[in-house]
Amino acid sequence: MSQEQNKVEQRKVSQEKTSSAADQSTDASREDKGMVSNTPPEQQTKKTYAGMSRRTLFLGLGGAAVLLGLGGLKLVNSNPLIRPPGGQIEDDLIAGCIRCEKCYEICPRNVIAPAHIEDGILTMRTPTFDFSRDYCDWCQEEEGGKPLCAKVCPTEALKLPEDATVENTIIGKAAINTDWCLAYRLIGCRFCYDACPYEAMELDDNERPYMIYDKCNGCGACESVCVSLQNGSISEGATSRAIVVHPVEIYEQMLEEGLL
Amino acid sequence: MKSRTLRTITAVAVIIVVAIGFVTNFGIGTVSAVGWEDFSLLCPLGALGTMLAKQLMIPRAVISLIFAILFIIIFARAFCGWLCPVPIVQKIRNLFTKKPSKKALESQITPEADLAEKHAENGDDPKSTRTTATLDAPEKTSTLTKAEKKALKTCSTSDCSSCAEKRGKALDSRHFILGGSLLSAAIFGFPVFCVICPIGLSFGTILLVIRLFSGGDVTWSLIAIPLILIAEVVLFKKWCGKLCPLSAFMSLFGKLNVTFRPTIKDETCIETARDRECGVCAKVCPEGIDPRHPERGSAWSECTKCRACVDACPTKSIKMPLIPQKKGSSSPSESVLKTADSEGSSNN
Repeated sequence: MSQEQNKVEQRKVSQEKTSSAADQSTDASREDKGMVSNTPPEQQTKKTYAGMSRRTLFLGLGGAAVLLGLGGLKLVNSNPLIRPPGGQIEDDLIAGCIRCEKCYEICPRNVIAPAHIEDGILTMRTPTFDFSRDYCDWCQEEEGGKPLCAKVCPTEALKLPEDATVENTIIGKAAINTDWCLAYRLIGCRFCYDACPYEAMELDDNERPYMIYDKCNGCGACESVCVSLQNGSISEGATSRAIVVHPVEIYEQMLEEGLL
Repeated sequence: MKSRTLRTITAVAVIIVVAIGFVTNFGIGTVSAVGWEDFSLLCPLGALGTMLAKQLMIPRAVISLIFAILFIIIFARAFCGWLCPVPIVQKIRNLFTKKPSKKALESQITPEADLAEKHAENGDDPKSTRTTATLDAPEKTSTLTKAEKKALKTCSTSDCSSCAEKRGKALDSRHFILGGSLLSAAIFGFPVFCVICPIGLSFGTILLVIRLFSGGDVTWSLIAIPLILIAEVVLFKKWCGKLCPLSAFMSLFGKLNVTFRPTIKDETCIETARDRECGVCAKVCPEGIDPRHPERGSAWSECTKCRACVDACPTKSIKMPLIPQKKGSSSPSESVLKTADSEGSSNN
């Protein structure tokens, strides 16, 4: 406790000793002092609302209103994100996720990452994927194909349906940006094609990879090996790798807009 | 070692363990869901929030809730005092304020105690007072020393508003925020408070810093999350006592807590044994509890078991026993109250 508070405490005690007749006049001065020193003035005011001073009541109601308002932010649309296995139903994930960070911690490949504030205030710190260094194969090596993140999630925000398999759980869809892809400059790069575990990529006559939409489950293997952003291979204006896993909604939107 | 240092160490240790967990994929979790791999104990507020949002009983959440309530019944708000990272974050405040030096703090407290001490030794024969005190001790549980009466008279429970306004006796702003966050979770379908929970944000900041250095994950969150955190707990100095819904939850179930409650040994307490005013224990209590006269301060449910009173007591009369003792501060103080009241009424 700070020195100042101690003084206030002493003052209070001494003031309380004064007769109650003088209460009316001292109340005002006490309140002033209370404001300055952060002593809750409700302790000195007399009128209470169900045992609370007006200030406490307003503080509580204000706080509750802020939380209700924060909840209302859900009505504002946020960007769709790629989610770890078991988080494919967005509403269930948002309802369950308490941002405990257990899934990031447990992920043996460190591919689960907290969503950024750029993705929306409410989705901030919910789990998404960062395929910059590795990809998700449902902990095949570590756990024999049972994803640890869904296993440890304490609130069932990540929960796999009974019949879920790595093939039928669609994390997202990979899309090639042909402006940035080195293979489309006929360099002969085929890292993504070699990395794809599900034969979701094929090469055309010019050895350029293209996607087999139905086979892609968004595991991120192609994105994790893409070299299009590395030294010596920077394409002009590139802001991300040439092959990126997008949420299905975004992928379909891009298809509609003719970007792919 | 002083409890205060010890408490800082435990809270920092929690942060370090969590940080090591992040780096090593150890699976210990954060305090929001602490445990080993798929066994975790959830934060009770998170458990309630997510169950309300999903309108569904989640077995792990229910079990966590039961464990959390048991923990609160045994330790009251000890989590706040010993494990929560927020007080550590709040130490940022010290960087910007003049350090309230320990000496100043002690000089605030000791004069009275010293005075009482000196008085006891010079004025009255110390030996005789002490022996009589110990001899009288059994009776003293029912009778009052002058100092006690005086202390109690300044605050007769009926018409003093300051008593009713102390925390933990009635609902306060925290409980509104607890209610608001649960209501909001039920209406909008997600655990709303978790988005801005300062405990979660503290660990979130650590995770982001680790990710920044280990993976080059650059994001505005790294600015936004600490800003929200600071806005909450550093600008709102009284976050823990006035706003934190977790503290509200603990104060509700803390009412059932009787273990580790500060208990005063009447034989050595300055007020009872030497008939002097002291009140050091009440002054140092960060939660505003008055261990000598529990009716005057905040309720026992607010106790964070921080041991400030134990450390500060000039005669080392305060202990925090696991099992509450029958003869303690609680039973005499009630009778004390009655006598004080009856005296007050007879005076009127």
